[in-house]
Amino acid sequence: MLKDKEFWLVAGGISLAFIIYWIAGHPLLNEERIVMLLVVVVMSANLIYYTRFAKKGGEIFLRAIPGLKAVEEAVGRSTEMGKSVLYVPGIMDMDQVETVAGVIILGHVSKMTSRYETNLNVPVSRSIVMKAARETVREAYTMEGRPDLFQDDMVHYLTDDQFAYAAGVNGIMVREKPAACLYMGKFYAESLILAETGNSIGAIQIAGTASQSQIPFFVTACDYTLIGEEFFAASAYLSQSPELMGGLKGQDMMKAGVTATIILSLLMRMLFDLGLIEWNIISILTVQ
Amino acid sequence: MDKLFDLILKAGTVDRRWIFLVIGLAVLLPLFYPLGLPIRATIATQKVYDSVEALQDNSKVLVSFEYGPSTKPEIHPMAIGLLKHLFTNGHKVYVTCLWPDGQFMAEEALTEVAEKEFNLSYGEDYVLLGFRPGNEAVVKGMVSNIRKLYTTDARGTLVNNIPMMKNINKVADFDFIFSASAGYPGTVEWVQYASDPTGVPMSTGTTSIQVNDIMPMVNSGQVQGILAGMPGAAEYEALLGSPGIGTSGMDAQSIAHLVIVLFIVFGNITYFIEVQRSKKY
Amino acid sequence: MLWKRQIPILIATVVGLSTLFGWFIDHPTIESFVNDDATQWYDILASFAIFLGALNLMKLQGKKIFKQQSGWQYSIFAIGGFFFAIIAGFFYKGNDAVEWGIHVTSKGTLFKWMFEYMFTPLSATMFALLAFFVASASYRAFRVRNLEATLLLVSGIIIMVGRVPLGSSISSWFIMYLLILIASLVVNVKLKDKKITFGVLLGGVLIVTIWGSLLGWPIDRPNLFYLPILQDWIYNNPNVAGARAIMIGIGLGIFATSIRYILGLEKSYIGE
Repeated sequence: MLKDKEFWLVAGGISLAFIIYWIAGHPLLNEERIVMLLVVVVMSANLIYYTRFAKKGGEIFLRAIPGLKAVEEAVGRSTEMGKSVLYVPGIMDMDQVETVAGVIILGHVSKMTSRYETNLNVPVSRSIVMKAARETVREAYTMEGRPDLFQDDMVHYLTDDQFAYAAGVNGIMVREKPAACLYMGKFYAESLILAETGNSIGAIQIAGTASQSQIPFFVTACDYTLIGEEFFAASAYLSQSPELMGGLKGQDMMKAGVTATIILSLLMRMLFDLGLIEWNIISILTVQ
Repeated sequence: MDKLFDLILKAGTVDRRWIFLVIGLAVLLPLFYPLGLPIRATIATQKVYDSVEALQDNSKVLVSFEYGPSTKPEIHPMAIGLLKHLFTNGHKVYVTCLWPDGQFMAEEALTEVAEKEFNLSYGEDYVLLGFRPGNEAVVKGMVSNIRKLYTTDARGTLVNNIPMMKNINKVADFDFIFSASAGYPGTVEWVQYASDPTGVPMSTGTTSIQVNDIMPMVNSGQVQGILAGMPGAAEYEALLGSPGIGTSGMDAQSIAHLVIVLFIVFGNITYFIEVQRSKKY
Repeated sequence: MLWKRQIPILIATVVGLSTLFGWFIDHPTIESFVNDDATQWYDILASFAIFLGALNLMKLQGKKIFKQQSGWQYSIFAIGGFFFAIIAGFFYKGNDAVEWGIHVTSKGTLFKWMFEYMFTPLSATMFALLAFFVASASYRAFRVRNLEATLLLVSGIIIMVGRVPLGSSISSWFIMYLLILIASLVVNVKLKDKKITFGVLLGGVLIVTIWGSLLGWPIDRPNLFYLPILQDWIYNNPNVAGARAIMIGIGLGIFATSIRYILGLEKSYIGE
């Protein structure tokens, strides 16, 4: 762990600078939020460390995620059947991280569709998502050496309204009968409408979302579902890029840290409630 | 026995449109022939009721409408119930909307309750500030300076000329917040950016599906109870002694839920028969 | 290349770091930027971007009509609806007594009519589809395949029935008799002994009957078998525990993805 000298030098430098800043009176710093600042810095450092670790050739184990393995299978199925792949990147805008993650996965799916010469249909609900998704798909097709197959209309805008969008996508599904439907992004109540319609046309369905309340609907109606963090891990899994895999490892370490903090806080709070210590850990952990 | 099993298996492969028909009838018939099932308030609903009851006289309450026509059957009854409760107790109501559809819903609710039922005076007893675009930026803006965000209300009147807006400059000037929310932006944003940082207590009513997301906040005390979907609205109406749309919908929802459970049980019976037969052969 | 690569990454990094660390700085200008301006910039950009979407929609639907592609009749509705909404919003009020702007929610205007008689029923219809789809999805998917599926099924049934007034009308004694019947069935399937099955059934029925008689058959006791109380417990305990765990995981995932964007490690938004 101590092998990355550059990382530790920079981390040491930043820590020293912060200590000097603190001793100098820490002007302009909101003191009530210092714990959160330290948490953000430590978690970011953790991510950077593992990203560098992976880039330098460190081995990182990534468990198999069936939903992601099935993406290539779904595209292959569409190619064999001569039908299109329908990709729905959620109904929210690019200010939602889930939409961003959905557009990232779209890039990987586009590479597959360009390789297999399968039609790709991406109806979107927001104009900015349309632009970003179009650029992503265009780049993917270009990188695969098939810019001729890309058309602007592959990624098209329907409407901002939630249920009008669901109606539009349902109409596309029922008329064009895609062989594969991929739902990757942020969804609300329309998730079951989309998934059930996709089920009724016999398409293979893969969903990925961090919208907690919609996960059960996707699990029930789709063939594969990426739940929560699996969805955010998808870009690392599909690209096998060392940087992204390192980031995933960092994320897992953060989770271990959070778990340890929860257990420790529980014990310390118990001791406080029993009157054995005078220090209330909750007052420190409460974000102002 | 085999013939019975064959019949069950055949019924199990029924076209889903028959299921839709049965569900349709299960929802429609109780609406025409109400059963009058008794409604028992849950702890979460009771907490909302108690929080509103505990407000001091002439409290200033901010009510936010974040739902549209699609979720109106679930949330509109609780909004109506809340307005009745607040006006009965003589509180001042300030209405804002984070969704554009919410303004239509708010107009409808205020016309029904404030104008027709209570005959209250606009600008003195209640005010509709209206919708502003920006999602959580609106909530943040209200926390720092309401007048920067709202120069006029929904009827075009300057906010400075509205009597009840005197001394209202930011969220901290309110005594209570209620969010009638169907999604984003909604309850979570009000908790994150308004209620928690300012300490103004809040409660909420949401669609049934959102309750899962909000429950941790209710349990941690950040939100004082929750009205969970149409059952929550019906329970609140029962506590108020003023049955409305929420109550009338509960018979239909009860029967529909029962029918779905029966379908699930039937589906499992066919599954077991299939498994037994595949083991046998 | 500079405009397509380095500058977008620089903008993302600078704005990302400013909004992230700006929250920790106690300065009115920075606070105002973080709380108000940054999100409003996005909303302004998104508002202008709507033109791109609208033009794309018109182009696609128009092309379908002119070339009479499959389903072109639906495109007439799409374009017609679009222009109708524009006219109602910007050109024709329908009620001259009302000012522009507030005409969208005022009585007697075309926009309000469109909202009440077109948008509202259409939205409600789409949402109502969920009732039917939930039924068909539940029927198809809820099978007792393994322990986890069984737990999901049982808790789903308890919550579905316990949440509605019907559940509060079902006595806990009825549930106990039902459980005894199910237990007898399971014993019969596992042991295939009629005497033991009958013994379990009779014993269970006797115990419940005597117990109920002694207590006077209260509808909500014992609490453990009263559906509304059981569903409350499931909602507030295992459900919230699971929800919190997933929320923490999702929160960390969002943090990690955002940091990757801010630090320039993730460049998919520029097509890399």
